[in-house]
Parts: sequence; C-alpha cells; structure tokens
Amino acid sequence: MIRASLFGLMLFAVACSKSAPAEPPAPEPLAPGHGVLQDTTPKEGPRLISSEAYIRTYMTLFGGLSPLGTQAALQGKDGVQLFDTWSDYLGTIGMPDYRYDTARLSQTNTLMMATFERVGVALCDRALEHDRTVKPRLVYDFDMPGTLTAADFAPRFDVLHRTFVNYPASLAPTDRTNRFFQLYQDTVKQHPAVKGSRFSPAEAGWAAVCYGLIRHPEFHLY
Amino acid sequence: MRKFSLFVPLLALLGAAWAKDASAAPTLDDYRHFRALTVDLKGRIPTRDEIAAFEKPGFDMNAWIDAQLTGPAYADRVTRIYMDLLRLQVSPVFNASNGLVDLRREKIVGPDGTPMYVFYRLGQRRTRVETDGDFCLTPDDTGLAYPVNTPPVPYPTPTSPPKSVPQDVLDAATVVVKPWWLYRDYKSASPAQYYNATTWAQYGFQPAPDLLLEPDGVTPTTQIRICREETQTAETGHVYQSKRTAPVTADGGLPFGRFTSVPYDDAYTTKNAGQPISCRTQTGISRAQDCGCGVGLERCFPTAANNVQFAPAVVAPELDVLGTDSPIDSVRQASGDWDRLWWSEEARQFLSYVFGQDRDFREILNAPYTFVNGPLIQYYQSEAPAGCCGAGVGLGYTAPDALFDPARLPKDLLPHDANKWELVSNRGAHASGILTMPIFLTKFGTRRSRAHVLYNAFLCKDFIAPPNLQLAPSTDPNLMTRPGCNSCHATLEPLAAYFSRVMESDITYLPPSAFPTDTTGPCSGANASLNPVCQCKTDKNGNLNGTCKNYYDPSFSDGKHAVLRGAYPDTTGATQGHAESGPAGIAAELVTHPEFASCVAQNVASSFLGRPLTTEDEGLQQALSAAFTGDGFKLRAVVRAMVLSDAYRHSNNLTSSAWRDGGSL
Repeated sequence: MIRASLFGLMLFAVACSKSAPAEPPAPEPLAPGHGVLQDTTPKEGPRLISSEAYIRTYMTLFGGLSPLGTQAALQGKDGVQLFDTWSDYLGTIGMPDYRYDTARLSQTNTLMMATFERVGVALCDRALEHDRTVKPRLVYDFDMPGTLTAADFAPRFDVLHRTFVNYPASLAPTDRTNRFFQLYQDTVKQHPAVKGSRFSPAEAGWAAVCYGLIRHPEFHLY
Repeated sequence: MRKFSLFVPLLALLGAAWAKDASAAPTLDDYRHFRALTVDLKGRIPTRDEIAAFEKPGFDMNAWIDAQLTGPAYADRVTRIYMDLLRLQVSPVFNASNGLVDLRREKIVGPDGTPMYVFYRLGQRRTRVETDGDFCLTPDDTGLAYPVNTPPVPYPTPTSPPKSVPQDVLDAATVVVKPWWLYRDYKSASPAQYYNATTWAQYGFQPAPDLLLEPDGVTPTTQIRICREETQTAETGHVYQSKRTAPVTADGGLPFGRFTSVPYDDAYTTKNAGQPISCRTQTGISRAQDCGCGVGLERCFPTAANNVQFAPAVVAPELDVLGTDSPIDSVRQASGDWDRLWWSEEARQFLSYVFGQDRDFREILNAPYTFVNGPLIQYYQSEAPAGCCGAGVGLGYTAPDALFDPARLPKDLLPHDANKWELVSNRGAHASGILTMPIFLTKFGTRRSRAHVLYNAFLCKDFIAPPNLQLAPSTDPNLMTRPGCNSCHATLEPLAAYFSRVMESDITYLPPSAFPTDTTGPCSGANASLNPVCQCKTDKNGNLNGTCKNYYDPSFSDGKHAVLRGAYPDTTGATQGHAESGPAGIAAELVTHPEFASCVAQNVASSFLGRPLTTEDEGLQQALSAAFTGDGFKLRAVVRAMVLSDAYRHSNNLTSSAWRDGGSL
C-alpha cells in the first residue's frame, strides 16, 4: 500500500512538473542494407526464363538458326542421340499447350532440370564439334591449348561466362573462376581414361565447363 | 484521397528514365537488369556483342529500351501475355473439318487393271439415285462392297475385292483435273506450274506425300481423277428436286449397297425447286446438282483417304509455339488440323499487330480489322459458308449473314500462300476483335465460357461461389434469380447473352431478321412454314419442334412465344439489347468497365515480375494503369514504365538463397 502511494506521488510529480517533456529515446540504427524498419516489399526468387526465350537463346547460340535448323544442329550427323526433337521437350521445359489448356510452368521441377541438362549437354558437345573446325566459332570463341595455367584459363572462361550468364566472371558472387578451373583440370586429368571419346582432354575439359555453366541457375533464371 | 496520395509518389516509382551514371562501370545488378531486359524485350539472353555494347561508356539504355519496344520480339512478348490468358488454340479432339468441302479418295481398279485413285465429295448431289450424295461409282461398278448400315465416319473398309471399272463407266462418272494443291496456276486453262518442294517452300504450303504419288507409290501424281459433278465451277446452282419425299430403303436397310442414306426432298427443297442458290453454302451444296468445287477444285480440300478426320492432307507445323514463321516441327496433318492452325495464327497475327504497332489496346476486343493468309481466305470463302445454315434452313435461314463478309477478302492470295498475310481493314458489320474470330468462338464453345474467359482476362475477375453457399432444389430456369446459382449467374448470364447470336461451338451468326430474340407476335406472311414467329411456340404438350429447339430455349418458351437461346436476360427485363448488340456489345461493356485498365496493368506487371501481384504492388498497378489510360490505352507506355520500375529491377531480390550463393561452382 505504501509502495503504491509512493508510486502515485511520483507520477503526480512528473505530470505536474514544468520542465520540458522527456525526449523519446533515439531509434536504434537500421541494419546495413535496410532502408526502412520493416521491408514489406514482395520477396521473390528469380524468374524462370520462358520456354520461348529458352529456344530462341539456343537458336542464337547456334548462330541464328531456325528452330528446325537448331534442332538439326543439336542432333548432329553422327547418329548419337544427344537430342531428339523440340516437340519432345516442350512440355518439360515449361511451354504451355493452349490446345489442352496446359498452363505455362513458372517453377522448375525435376523433369525440367533433367531436360535442361540433356539439352544443354547436346549444345555444349555440338558447339564444340563445330567450333574446333569451323569459324567463326559459336560458343568456344578461343583456342584450346593442351595445357593451361589459371591465368590462361580466366579469359577463356570469361568468354563462356559472358555467353551463358551474361556478365564478367570476375563479378560472380563466388570464386567462380577458380572453381571452374579446378573442374577443368580434373576433367583434363581424368579424360585419358575415357575410352572412345570424340574429344581431346582439353576439349573435354572445356565441354565440362560448358556443362557447368549451361546447367547453372543463372542461365535458366533471370 | 488515399489513391491520390499514393499516386503522385508512385509515378516516381516507375522511373521515367534509366538513371544510372552512364560513365560508371556496370555493377552485377546492372548486368542482371540488362539481361532481364534482353530476355523480356528481345526474347532471348544477350549475346557477347550486345554485352560489350552495353559495357561501353555512354551506352544509352533509354534509347536501347525504346528501340526494343518497337521490335518484333516485344510484340511477341506482350502477345504471349494474352495468348497465355486466352489459350487460343483448339484441341485436336475438336474436328474442324467440314465434310462438304473435304474431298475423299477411293482406290479402285482402273480399266487397265491397275489401281487408281478417284476423288469425290461425300454429300455431292448427283442424278443417279444409286450415287446421289455419295461416291459416283456404285459397288456394282467397282466391286467394292461395304458392310450394310455402317456409319460413314469412320469410313468402312470394303468387304469385297475391287474389280476393273470399264473405261466408258469411268469416263461417264469421272473426269481428269489438275487441282489447286498440285498446281500454282490452277486457274489457267492449262496449268503448268506443278508442285515443287523447293520453290513452293516460300509459300508455306506442302501437300501430304500421299497426295503426290499414285497407288503404286512411285509414279508422281500430276493430275487427279474426280467425280464429274465435283468439277463444276458455277457460283450459283439450282435447288434440285429428286421427287423422293422419304428415305429410300431396301430390305429394311440402305439400298444399292450404300452405307449412306439416299437424300430426299425436305420442305425447303420442295418449296424452292429450281430456284437459284449459292454454291458456297451448305444449303446449296447439299441441294444443288450443279454445284461443284470450283476452278481447280479451289472450294474443296483434299484428303488422302476416305476418312477426312485423320487422313493426311498437308505437311505443316503441329505445335505453333513460336509462330508459324518459326516452326519447330513439320508433320502430316488432316484438313481440320490445317484449319485449326490458321485460326490460331490469325489471332496471333492480330495481337502481334495491335502490340507491335502500339495501337489502342481496346481494339483487341472491338477492332473491325484482322489479318488473313491464303489458307484463311480459302477457309472464309469456301469452308465457313459451307457450314451454314444447318437446321436454320427449316426456319428460312439459307445463306449466312457471316461474321466475316467474304466479299472483303483480298483477291491476290492463293490457297498456297500460307506465309503471306494481308490486312483486312473491315471484316463486316459484326466484326469485333478476337471475339468474332473462329479460334475464339470454337475454343470457348458456349456463351458462358466465352463470357467467363473475357471476364477473367480483361477484368481480372472470376466467378467464385461464396463460402457455405446453399443450393436449394429449384426448378427456376432463370439462373439470375435461382437461389445460390444467382451468386455467379446474375453477372454471368447478362454477359453470356451478348453471344446469343453466335451458335455454340460454331461461327454461324443468327441475324435478328431470321431469328427474333422473342417470337411473340402474330403469324403472318407467305412463308409461315419457315417463320420462327409461326413455328417456334410450344405445342399443347409444351414442346418446341425439333428445328426450333436448335435455336430457341424450351425453358423460356410457351404457347405464345419462344426465347432465343441465351437471350433470356433481355426478355426477362434484367438487361436490354445484349443479344442484339452481340459480341461488340460485350466489348463495349468491358472496355468501359472501371477495372479494365487496372486489369491490363495487373496482367502486364504480373507477367514481367513473374509472380502474382500482392497488396504491396497496389501502387505500381495504379501507376501503370494511369500510364495506360493516359497514353490512349497504348501498351508500350505501360511496358516501358514497367521495365524501368524499381519493382522490375528488383524483382529477383531473394538473391542469397535463390541464386544458391552463386551456384555450387
């Protein structure tokens, strides 16, 4: 009871004081990168490139061929079934089918990733077969010496990096160039054990780099 | 007040121009933004050369964006938004072929004992009762017998071996023709420009290989043999009276070894015997002996078998995903597939034109113009009128009041000219954007489905029943008032009523002069037997006759009147004139709706952001909507504002997880 009275007296004293009201405490500084206290903007992951843009990208990578021309290029002439037909892949790469009211896919799924991988491998291999013998080169716009230092690798990797993910490799969020150099070296080292390959160790190394980039999320998303 | 206060600062949100320091080196975000812009505005990722240009000091992003906004890839990109919403392709299950213009092919044995093909039209009127409406050679002539009473589709397989047809019999019934699908100059007296796969590739037309070889599989087909009546070229024929007034039977089945019925005279034929009639209409083709397939058979379409629904006729793209100018496949297709392909492509060409030329967006719904190529001209000139008028003949409707007036079609394209498109500035009085195109009317076959998709795509609204809705048993045919149903149908039925004058799953227009919305009134005039006002009222048992039921709704009919199907909102007083104003009426209602512009903004923003909009995007949507209406309903201003907005630039802002820390490599 005494405590309550004392507390009430203190409140009364504060309320009747003629001194300036107390300043509210200064707000805590915002965390770095936060412009407002609560960021309510929608948070979304990157978008999936439309299947139309995906096909047109392949057409461009093959030097501006038609869809059927690109299909023929991806199929190659040696009978190796790296690629079937575009119509076999339309559903899995997310193309809507208006005939059956099948909606456009905006999210990746397992089959889609498998298709991206298969079609991507076809592109990397067929482009390599082309670029080692025909100029102008389409994708691998550089020479492929048998041995490469990290310094030799970087500018060549940058060409592929710009081709597929469209910015300099030096700006990549991770130490991407070195990681891919390691991939390249491992592939070159192990390739002699592969029987019947159409590629030299260096070519196989660059093909592996190409596989890595064309399967990268930054290639399929934007 | 809230909207106003939001609007002003949000205009700044749109970023009227690219604000980056052009002399500074691009950041990773800049590269990603440029990549996104390239994907959205050029339709693919950037090339190394384009990236190099972007990196150069002084790169003018605003000029670059403006340049892309006038390119074909931009038109494709925006067209895709509305193709995704409207899904304007028809399932192959929908049989688009018209038997009255399709030429079937029978294999017989010729006078010299070798197999040969003879083309014919099922339904072609002929003098001989044995062949009237069917193949011009009888089973006695050919030795080809068929199972009795077998439906004509699918066409049955002969049950007996063929025999050699004598030359005089063959010549009496058939003639040799150089048809349009084999000759570019088929209209000349002596066609000489025979099909060449290489040179004809420029036209975009390739007959199915089956049509290019004789039965031996080796000899090229340079001319065809076809039943004589089909080769007639007159535009106008005359109603043929067979004097048969009832089905002809033999031993309880079909006579003469036929598997189709022998045609007989109906009331219209009896009343109009000998009268002139258009050879392009269903009415004429099915009633005149002197109506054929025209010069070079251009009014008919070949199929390489007796079953038109599945027999190959052409080699064409089946999957029209990048437009027919960039086919991704090429397969043998039947005549109906050919129709469906070009119906869809008409809509794509039309939308691409509206967006590419940055025309008033509202024209999508109300434009009188469209685009046609050679196959579509052939369709609108011959196949579409051959679908009219069905049972309407019984109510005096014998020649179509077409949604697309054939007289307005270009004259300079041939059926082969699939790759060449021409603008038709005005299709006729009933034309209204996509709403009167065959692809829309067949894709959305019912009045309600047509109204629903428009409500959804252009007002961004849907019909969703309220929670805990109770549907009490009711016999009320008026769904606008029936408890429970009315929660959706009070809105849907008036919209659907705008399509009362377009037959369901069809493109036949029902003009008010032949089909009054309400048949109330005294029966008068000489043609009472063909007048809906006289015919379309219920009998003493409460039934409408069969012809009337095709067009009038028994549920809203009684002994005093009948109501055109779908038009009951007008006749019950809920609406006025919806049926009469037709598709143009719903277009007018939609484009003046308060939510029309914001729906366009929503559709564009959602597509470019790759996600549905949320309440947080309300300001962006308002600003885009304002940009849309402020620029005369042009979409280019909306897209420009969209791609320069902060929302677009930061639309993939979950970098830490979604980019997998830059990937595993």
